[in-house]
Amino acid sequence: MRRWLSEPLLHFVVLGIVLFAGSSIITRNTAPTAGRIMVSQGRIANLSMSFAKVWQRPPSSDELEGLIRDYVREEVLSREAIAMGLDRDDTVIRRRLQQKLEFVTNDVAEQAQPSEAELQEYLTQHPEQFRSDALLSFRQVFLSRQARGDAVQADAVTLLAELQQAGPAIDTGTLGDPTLLSPELTKARAGEVAAIFGEGFAHQLTALAVGRWQGPVASAYGEHLVLVTARADGRVPALSEARAQVASEWTNARRIAANQDFYRQALGRYTVTVEALPHSDAATTPPAQPPR
Amino acid sequence: MPYPILRSHVHTGLLAFGLAQALTCLAAEESVTTDIGTIDQETVANSFPKAPYSPYAGRNFPTRPLFGDTHLHTAISVDAGAFGCRLGPKDAYRFAKGEEITASSGQQVKLSRPLDFLVVADHSDAMGLFPMIFNGDPKVLATEKGRHWYELIQSGKGGEAAMDIITSFGAGTMPKEIVPVPGTAIYRSVWNDLIDAAEGANDPGHFTAFIGYEWTSVTGGNNLHRNVIFRDGADKARLTEPFTTQKPLGSDNPSDLWKWMTAYEEKTGGFVLAIAHNGNLSNGRMFPIIESFTGKKVDREYVEQSAKWERLYEATQIKGDGETHPFLSPNDEFANYEKWDKGNLDMTALKKPEMLEFEYARSALKNGLKLEKELGTNPYKFGMVGSTDAHTALAAVEEDNFFGKTSSSEPNPGRAMHPFVKTDKGVIMGWETSASGYAAVWAKENTRASIWDAMERRETYATTGPRLVVRFFGGFDYESTDAANRMPAQIGYTKGVPMGGDLHTAPAGKAPTFLVAAMKDPIGANLDRYQIIKGWLDAKGEVHEKVYDVVWAGDRKPGADGKLPSVGSTVDVENATWTNTIGAPELITVWKDPEFDAAQRAFYYGRVLEIPTPRWTAYDAKRFGIKLPKEVPMTTIERAYTSPIWYTP
Repeated sequence: MRRWLSEPLLHFVVLGIVLFAGSSIITRNTAPTAGRIMVSQGRIANLSMSFAKVWQRPPSSDELEGLIRDYVREEVLSREAIAMGLDRDDTVIRRRLQQKLEFVTNDVAEQAQPSEAELQEYLTQHPEQFRSDALLSFRQVFLSRQARGDAVQADAVTLLAELQQAGPAIDTGTLGDPTLLSPELTKARAGEVAAIFGEGFAHQLTALAVGRWQGPVASAYGEHLVLVTARADGRVPALSEARAQVASEWTNARRIAANQDFYRQALGRYTVTVEALPHSDAATTPPAQPPR
Repeated sequence: MPYPILRSHVHTGLLAFGLAQALTCLAAEESVTTDIGTIDQETVANSFPKAPYSPYAGRNFPTRPLFGDTHLHTAISVDAGAFGCRLGPKDAYRFAKGEEITASSGQQVKLSRPLDFLVVADHSDAMGLFPMIFNGDPKVLATEKGRHWYELIQSGKGGEAAMDIITSFGAGTMPKEIVPVPGTAIYRSVWNDLIDAAEGANDPGHFTAFIGYEWTSVTGGNNLHRNVIFRDGADKARLTEPFTTQKPLGSDNPSDLWKWMTAYEEKTGGFVLAIAHNGNLSNGRMFPIIESFTGKKVDREYVEQSAKWERLYEATQIKGDGETHPFLSPNDEFANYEKWDKGNLDMTALKKPEMLEFEYARSALKNGLKLEKELGTNPYKFGMVGSTDAHTALAAVEEDNFFGKTSSSEPNPGRAMHPFVKTDKGVIMGWETSASGYAAVWAKENTRASIWDAMERRETYATTGPRLVVRFFGGFDYESTDAANRMPAQIGYTKGVPMGGDLHTAPAGKAPTFLVAAMKDPIGANLDRYQIIKGWLDAKGEVHEKVYDVVWAGDRKPGADGKLPSVGSTVDVENATWTNTIGAPELITVWKDPEFDAAQRAFYYGRVLEIPTPRWTAYDAKRFGIKLPKEVPMTTIERAYTSPIWYTP
């Protein structure tokens, strides 16, 4: 049952119906039905039902009459408005229509239930989306660029030699300069290290050899001599460990793809011609941000 | 103890740094297993050798601040939808987690770095109204106004309808029968959608998605808004529906919101807190001495409830900065920062100077001391956070990545010179919106419980956007050598209390000392100075304030007037750039109050200033190639405000 909901064929059928309904609204204004409004029993049942949903009771006969009067009024005025072309070139209406169509494609995508094989395939094709962060354990000795100026590099080289000689067991308590940065982090996610020391620093740490004092490594604050004590590279989880996450990403991807697919299909039925831009000049650089 | 806090979660905060080391270690072990304990973690753990020895083991305090937004609106909020926001709560959480998404205006947008937590706080009133109007719900069509809006929208005048809806909402002339209220199917389904979005995005250990909402009391256009944040998950939140302002189910009086909060906690065993914001648009009502609803002086009940439920205040956001005002703090040369002081929220009533005292955080903290002396409880004993209040589903308030207050003010060449509010009384221009702020929380873990508990104990600070790290500890025994220690935080927690805490009865001959430290945002600007702001109540019952520069970059010397010279500026406005060639990446010192009187109530909080940087308007001018008029500020001094530490004799 759920399986067929994810079939692309179904999407086209649903979208076909939407398009057909859309085009029938347009044709409705032409010849045979132009001057006639038929309020069917089905329509009345529908009006009555949506009233009951809000008020938690069916409408009284007066209210139902009012609903029908309103419906007729809406139908008349909207047909008149469309006949007068008021719906054209109206940004709000056009955006609303675009949004409604997207709701349909979104709904179809979100109701689809992925099979085990589809999830596995998604995970295999997008491993980086699910890869866990590398975990880093390290100690660091800080040398302030601010306090030492140009000497900081030379100082770092001298201190590094001392550290390497002493090895991993050295107590670094009084070495280097004071800082708020932690002298030691244990099993910190690479993302956390980046949030504290900066992206570049975290990146360099993922490449350093384990168990040896190295550096200097630059951060946003100064230079650091670093001893990586342990590192576990990030890894892609098995589907059983991350099923909910994969399913959520699968649905999201499905939603985006459904919108794009539909647009591409629809676009295929049009020939689009864009006239050359006035004063277009290949040499000018485009603005840093596209205007909306 | 002025009033008994019997809320068990408070104990996690109080226990954390004290007595039973073994007990707390055990608690930490457990939470590690519950939060991230999977096969994956076990494998990883095995690859780590046991450290041979470590002076840093057993630390049980927060080592890095978590940054987030406690106040973000999405398309579910009536006004956000009306201004064109099409992104919902799910999109908001995805964006906060660092994902690139398409904004409502069609532009691609991404944060420089992920946030650590987010509260989607949509307006509780009229949740779901916009879909109702769009769909021509019979309830809407049954009222004259509702039908008018529906027809406006149907005839393509959606913008006009939106303005009218918002004005009616603010003026309280919204037809009552069409507003979705708690207890109806549509309201419940929207509330459940919000809960589902938070549950889906919550990822303990990595990202926290809180359940919450905004209670939007705005009677007469005067802002008394509060955001309500749940510590709990869906199981408890589903047992309630948000409190609204529309009678008879709701109320515009904060005292009634506190009753709702009490009832929620009693009914579910859960926990909620409230954060007020935009006192600057309340026209003298946010922090009252004379209460606006009764016209009488605040009573014991009011001060106790306020102190219990409102542990934090949102001191900076897009609609202006609320720390203090030049009228209230004439000697503070940094007080005139991003001020919105022309009128109330909808500019239907102008500001009078006498209102300001009851609108700004610093004066409220001072008046709180006064009220505490009279009534036994300080109603305005709040900590500080910043947040965005963006109505775009995008918590994007960095100066170079500012996505505006509403979807119509997402980056575009006209936004700075487009009026934000315009009435016959006055106008607030688009350029006056402030790219601010975030909430920083010293929580031990990135979980709902841990962050919420840190908020409850006020271990938080506000930033106007940058993610600078700020420490603020108070005690009687800090010495200058503590500033040179390699583990200042450990000393801080051991010898005193962190921001948000209390000092009592000074030992004979001793004055409060403060260990203060700040570190720049790793991708941001250097720091100019760290200041301590002191407020106190003298023997005559008068309140005072003083700003002290306690540590600063470079070798500047205070002048004869006691003022520290300016740090200068490297901002190149035309190119919207600056350099870190002035200022310092880190500041740390120990400061002792030189004018302490052990008999007087006082509070102290930290303010950290960055060196000047380009304001968002400078980035707009550069990127869109536009010229902005002279009155538009093009540089800014970003800052952080810590929660205070109070001294009580």
